[in-house]
Amino acid sequence: MSVVQDPFSLSGKRVLVTGASSGIGRQIAITCSQMGAQVVISGRNPERLQATAAALHGEGHIAITADLSQQEGIDQLVAVSDTLHGVVHAAGISKLVPFRLINKQHLTDIFDSNTFAPMLLTRGLLAKKRIAQNGSILFISALSSHSGALATSAYAASKSALLGAMRSLALEIAKQGMRVNCIAPGYVHTPMLDGLGQGGGNMDALFDLTPLGMGEPEDVAYASVFYLADASRWITRNYFILDGGLSTPMDIYA
Amino acid sequence: MVTGASSGLGQHIAIRFAQRGARLIITGRDKSRLQTTYDQLKGEGHVQVTANLTIAEERTFLAKSASNLNGLVHCAGIQKHCPIRQLSEQLMTEMYQVNFLAPVMLTQSLLQANAIAQQGSILFMLSTAAHIGTRGLGPYSAMKSGLIGIIKCLALEQAKRKIRVNGISPSVIATPMWDVHQELLTQQKARHPLGLGTLDDVANGAIYMLSDASRWVTGTSLVMDGGAVI
Repeated sequence: MSVVQDPFSLSGKRVLVTGASSGIGRQIAITCSQMGAQVVISGRNPERLQATAAALHGEGHIAITADLSQQEGIDQLVAVSDTLHGVVHAAGISKLVPFRLINKQHLTDIFDSNTFAPMLLTRGLLAKKRIAQNGSILFISALSSHSGALATSAYAASKSALLGAMRSLALEIAKQGMRVNCIAPGYVHTPMLDGLGQGGGNMDALFDLTPLGMGEPEDVAYASVFYLADASRWITRNYFILDGGLSTPMDIYA
Repeated sequence: MVTGASSGLGQHIAIRFAQRGARLIITGRDKSRLQTTYDQLKGEGHVQVTANLTIAEERTFLAKSASNLNGLVHCAGIQKHCPIRQLSEQLMTEMYQVNFLAPVMLTQSLLQANAIAQQGSILFMLSTAAHIGTRGLGPYSAMKSGLIGIIKCLALEQAKRKIRVNGISPSVIATPMWDVHQELLTQQKARHPLGLGTLDDVANGAIYMLSDASRWVTGTSLVMDGGAVI
C-alpha cells in the first residue's frame, strides 16, 4: 500500500530561509519546521538567529550567520546548503528616504540587500546544483512594488525588480521542474515596520487603510508554505498579493 | 457550498474538500450526476440540492437550504468558443446568465439571508481568460473579467465581517472535455512551461483559499497556469 503524502506538508523537504533572525523570515522558518521541513536559516544577527533556531520544531536544522550583501556570505551559505527543496528569500531592509535625498549609497544599500543578494544567492545555489528537481523558490517582494508609498522609491524599485527577475528565471528553470514565485505582502506587523514608524513615518494612518487590518507574519508564512508545498506544483512565474485588501481600493495615499 | 458540483472542477473540488473535513452543500443542474458526486463525498452530513442557478426561484431555494456557511465556491460555468464577429445576442445572454448573473445573484441571496459566517471565504472560479485576451473567447473572457470587478467591490463591502472574497484563475486543465481536441491540447501544453495542470492542482489552490491559512487574502486572484501567463 502506498502512503499518499499530504500535498500541503513539507515533511521530507529541506528549506532555506534567509532573513530568519526576525519578522517575516523568522515566522516562515518556524512555520516551515512545524509543517515538517528541515530548515536552513540565515540572518545577520547571531543572537536573534539563535533565538529563531531555538523556536524551531523538530531536529536537524542548521543556522548560519551570514551577511548576504557580501559575496562571502552568499558563498558560505551555498557551501553549507545540502540539496534544497525550497528557498525563501525573506531577508530585506527598508528605509524611508524622500526622492530628493536619495543618493548612490542609499540605492546601493537597498538594492544590495533586497535585490542583488537574493538573485546572487539563487545563482550560487543553481550553479552548485543545490536546488532539487521540482524545488520551489520564493522571493518575498512587497506590495510597494505596485503601490510606491511616499519616500520609498529605492525600496519599491528594489522589490519591483524581483518581479522581473522572477519571471525570467522561471522560464529558465522550468525544464528542470523548478518553480519560482513572488509573494507581495502589504503591511505586516514586523520589527522592520516598527523601525519605519520610529523613523518618523506616520504609519498608523496607512495601517488603517487595510480593509482586514494589518497582517501578521503568520499570514505570510502560511502563504509561503502553500508556495513551497507540492499543493502549488503547477504555480510558477506568479506573484501573489497578500495584503488584507489594501490594494483593492488603492488610491494614491496607499 | 460548491456550485457546479455535478462535473469537472466543481465535482473534484467538492470531493477534495470533503476529504479535508468540510461538510458540504453541493449543487448542480443534473440530478443523477450530482448524486454521483454526492456518493463520493467522504464523511457525513453533506447535502445535495439540484438547482438551475440561472433561475431566481431556484437560487432562493438553494439559499434557504444554507446557513452559517464558512465557504462558498462558485464553479458552475460554461465555455463557448465564438469569435465576436459571429456573436449572437442569444449566446451572449446565455454566457451572462450562467457565468456572471448566477454566481453574483446567488452570493447576493446568501448575504441577504446572513447565510455566510463571519470570516467566511467566497471564491469565484475565474480563468486566465479573465486576465488575458484569447481569440474566440470574448464572451467567456468578459464574464470572468466582470467577476473580478465584483470580487474587488465585494471584498471591501464584506471586510468588516472579515468575509474574504477572491478568485482562482487556472489556465488549461486536462479534463475529459478536451478529449475531442487532442491537437489543441498538445498546442496548449507546449505553451505552458510546466505543462498542463490537473484537477488536483486547482483543488489544492481552492483548499488554500478556503482555509484559515489565507485569512488575510482578499480582493485578489490566485493565478495557476504552469507559468504560461504574465
